[in-house]
Amino acid sequence: MLTINNLTYAYDKTVYDFSLHVKKNEIIGIIGESGSGKSTLLDLIAGFLQPFDGNIMLDTIDISKLNTENRPLTILFQKYNTFEHLSVLKNILLGLTTSLKPKQDEINKAKKILKEVGLEGFEDKLTSSLSGGQSQRVALARSLLREKPILLLDEPFTGLDLKTRKKMLTLVKNISKKRKLYTIMVTHDLNDCNLIADRVYKVKNGKLCQV
Amino acid sequence: MLLNSIWRFRLSIMPGGVISFFLLLLAFGVFYILFLNSGYESFSSSLITDRTIGLIKFTIFQAFLSTVLSIILGTVLAWSLAHQNSFCGRDFLVALLSSSLVLPTLIVVFGIISVLGNNGWVTRGIFYLFNYSFDSSIYGLGGILVAHVYLNASFAARSLLHIFESIPKERYKLAKSLNFSASKRFLLIEWPAIKLSLKSISSTIFLLCFTSFAIVLTLGGSPSYNTLEVAIYEAVKLDFDIPLALKLALIQLFITMILVFLSANFKVGISNIKTQNSKISWSESKKLQIFQISTISILTTLFILPLISIFIDGLGADFIKILSDELFIKSFFTSLGIATTSSILTVIFALLISDTRRNFNINHRVKKSKFTNFINLLIAFSGNIYLAIPSLILGLSFFLFSQKFQAPLILWSLGAVLCANILMSLPFALSIIYPPMHKIAGRYDKLSFALNLSGSRRWLYCEWPYLKSSISYVFALSFCLSLGDLGVIALFGSNEITTLPWYLYQLMGSYQTKDGAGVALILLVLTLSVFIFLPKVFKNANHK
Repeated sequence: MLTINNLTYAYDKTVYDFSLHVKKNEIIGIIGESGSGKSTLLDLIAGFLQPFDGNIMLDTIDISKLNTENRPLTILFQKYNTFEHLSVLKNILLGLTTSLKPKQDEINKAKKILKEVGLEGFEDKLTSSLSGGQSQRVALARSLLREKPILLLDEPFTGLDLKTRKKMLTLVKNISKKRKLYTIMVTHDLNDCNLIADRVYKVKNGKLCQV
Repeated sequence: MLLNSIWRFRLSIMPGGVISFFLLLLAFGVFYILFLNSGYESFSSSLITDRTIGLIKFTIFQAFLSTVLSIILGTVLAWSLAHQNSFCGRDFLVALLSSSLVLPTLIVVFGIISVLGNNGWVTRGIFYLFNYSFDSSIYGLGGILVAHVYLNASFAARSLLHIFESIPKERYKLAKSLNFSASKRFLLIEWPAIKLSLKSISSTIFLLCFTSFAIVLTLGGSPSYNTLEVAIYEAVKLDFDIPLALKLALIQLFITMILVFLSANFKVGISNIKTQNSKISWSESKKLQIFQISTISILTTLFILPLISIFIDGLGADFIKILSDELFIKSFFTSLGIATTSSILTVIFALLISDTRRNFNINHRVKKSKFTNFINLLIAFSGNIYLAIPSLILGLSFFLFSQKFQAPLILWSLGAVLCANILMSLPFALSIIYPPMHKIAGRYDKLSFALNLSGSRRWLYCEWPYLKSSISYVFALSFCLSLGDLGVIALFGSNEITTLPWYLYQLMGSYQTKDGAGVALILLVLTLSVFIFLPKVFKNANHK
């Protein structure tokens, strides 16, 4: 169980106080207006922002005390998820090793995941030559390769056309169910949540309210 | 079809096109008058001599060294500032770094001599602390490099800081979540972001140092440390050897033309100078923090010391004597007049040329073809001819024109100074004004055409609200560049036509350092006030 206990933070006269329980294999959708604090919640969970109070428990471990890089999570942003000057394979392998001198078994693993996200044969292409949907698949593949139990999605498919978006959301749903992940997706579109989320919350006045 | 679309936008193309045409005509005129007076046969036979080769070698050598040092220090400082974004006084330091672009070179020289010179703060401090004295000559290659690096490293740092701060936060978050080391983060995120701009900043700095005049003139010390620019000045002003000056001018013109064309593809980001606030919200490791804070502290001290020395030395001057000197009053008002006129004209020229250029860079306006690409290139080049034709060469040509056309020298002198100041500011002005103008057209063209907004109404609703801050910034920048310039005036300067930098140079030359310090302080305060406060005054006035 992933439990967020009274995670408090204040910014620009708004006080945030988030509490949430996420079961294994569950997808939570978070909606809210622009500037309501959706992304602040993800930044707090990821450790980009330090809460004033509260904690984040993954089963019995308090992960809020850990640095970002040591937290058992992986994040997908809306944009800038890939390095355009690197190939698809190198972008994915960055999830495993930052030296970019991978071992054969790591390459095999990356190729297997590429197949899972539908990008088989794209290994040597530069990500700058990919479409928006394909780039997000690369980022998703890298997230999966890291094998972290928590998957955070920060409006990852905004800007994609409807067909690609639906495809990507279904892909995320299948993968997170198959891998039994704790998934939290922030979006401004309720339709996205309806498509894949088990429960939906709205950020209102700095708090999470179930929809 | 092409002509139709050009005709459709004629009111937007013609005014800037005419200005570009005259600028190119001026460049051609400079070439023509120099070539005409050089005497082709004797010129080609005596072009390559040991002296000219020595001058070329030293000019390139000092420009290369200055560029490398400026880029290294500028990058390290910008990187440190980007990651240390919350210390007290940071905004002031960044504003000060921005102002290095407009600091009169003579003031920088004055400050550096005051700190590092034979009787400067450093030697006096060491004598006071350790009772040890040594000969500290700032003159020569060392002095030239110090002054060039002082001005250009801060310019590079300010430009690069903007780029570091423009890197999307998501990239840094990704690096953090993937546990990148600082070197890996630099290699994968920061280096790709800055490398394109590094090319343009390096080429700009190289050209500025290649054509540097006042610094080499005052800190060079001996003919063995002369650059082409100073050699031209000495040939005209000291040796009265016009054929030699022409020969050197043509060599310089030839090299700078090549350099400008070679660097034409590098996109310059001078508009970067304006601040942007995109802070990274988590801190670095302890070791990195220590390195970054030490870098900022050391380089800031080195940057601020000469300015402080100008303040302290300047405050000891006899201001009643200075302010009652007729020549000072004349220099002061001439400088203000020239700076005001040239900055107004620079703003107008930059607006019109940018308006013309955007027609050729937006698809729904003039259709692209080889011809329009060529026109676009010519217009872009016309705004940057100062980099190819340094002010001293321009001054020399005006001097030759004055002899050919028999007009009073004072008129030609004023014309030359005004012209040089406008040309000097124009590359910066264009790189600040063009990007927003291009963006405005891309964003509001269709709406404007649909609402039939054109001419003054379009300007009022679509252009002015988005351009006013850039315009005030360009005005201030151009005003300060003009105020501190010691280029053409070095050729024409006399008791009849004199500016503040020329007056200061005369005081330095006659060892009136106390009065010089007072004038340097006045010039520094005037420059910084205009550069920092004028855009703010403009902004506040618009809010009311």
